Amino acid sequence: MEQNRIDLFLASYAKFFHTDKIIHISEKLKSVEDDKWLVINSLQFKDPTTSLIVSLFGGGLGIDRFIIGDVGIGVGKLLTGGGCGIWTIVDWFLIQDATREKNWEMLQPYLYS
Amino acid sequence: MIGGKPNISECERASNSYIMSIVAIAVGLPIPIINLVATFIFFLAQRKATYFVRWHSVQALLSQMSLLILNSKAWYWTYDVVFTGESAINNEYVAYLIAVVLINLVEFFATLYAASKVRKGIDIRFWFFSDLTDTFVKK
Repeated sequence: MEQNRIDLFLASYAKFFHTDKIIHISEKLKSVEDDKWLVINSLQFKDPTTSLIVSLFGGGLGIDRFIIGDVGIGVGKLLTGGGCGIWTIVDWFLIQDATREKNWEMLQPYLYS
Repeated sequence: MIGGKPNISECERASNSYIMSIVAIAVGLPIPIINLVATFIFFLAQRKATYFVRWHSVQALLSQMSLLILNSKAWYWTYDVVFTGESAINNEYVAYLIAVVLINLVEFFATLYAASKVRKGIDIRFWFFSDLTDTFVKK
């Protein structure tokens, strides 16, 4: 039962995390209590592919950064017109990793408490 | 890293540093510094990443830096010829342009090659720049 639950979680969310974190998450989930499982399942993880699409079309206005919760960087991009376009290009290649990192930060407190 | 070999995520990030410099060249083509600035911002974002990722983003940055000087000279020389008329089209100018285009092409294909190989986890070391990168990037 426990393993099924973990497998289901990983099948649904594996691409939302860095590859090197998956084994670690799988191990840690084994010791998570039932009440925390409910919270973990209700967490709103961000899809890296969606972030990339948003970055391609709205990166110049910093929308991609706002969506993943980097408000400071989002404002910076908005005010500088996506860093004169340069920052926008760089973010096309960084946003997926940044999204996975944010998802990991969101999950981490429930794995270690 | 698993057993000394970079994992998929690391390979992807390292490869992105090369791909991004190519995309930045295409977008900012008239201005030679755009790709360098883009590569530098990418390096800043990866400065806390693993050694493999950092090493490749620095190698991409250094290889772009050498082109900046050549491209800037070509750009200003062309500006003088076309807009101010201070210089005329002569053999030296044409020879310089041909040389710059050839060097850019070599760099472009080398970067493409590096991007595809690094994506597979193969460590690509550019002549001269790899040694320079070794001195800058600490494990």
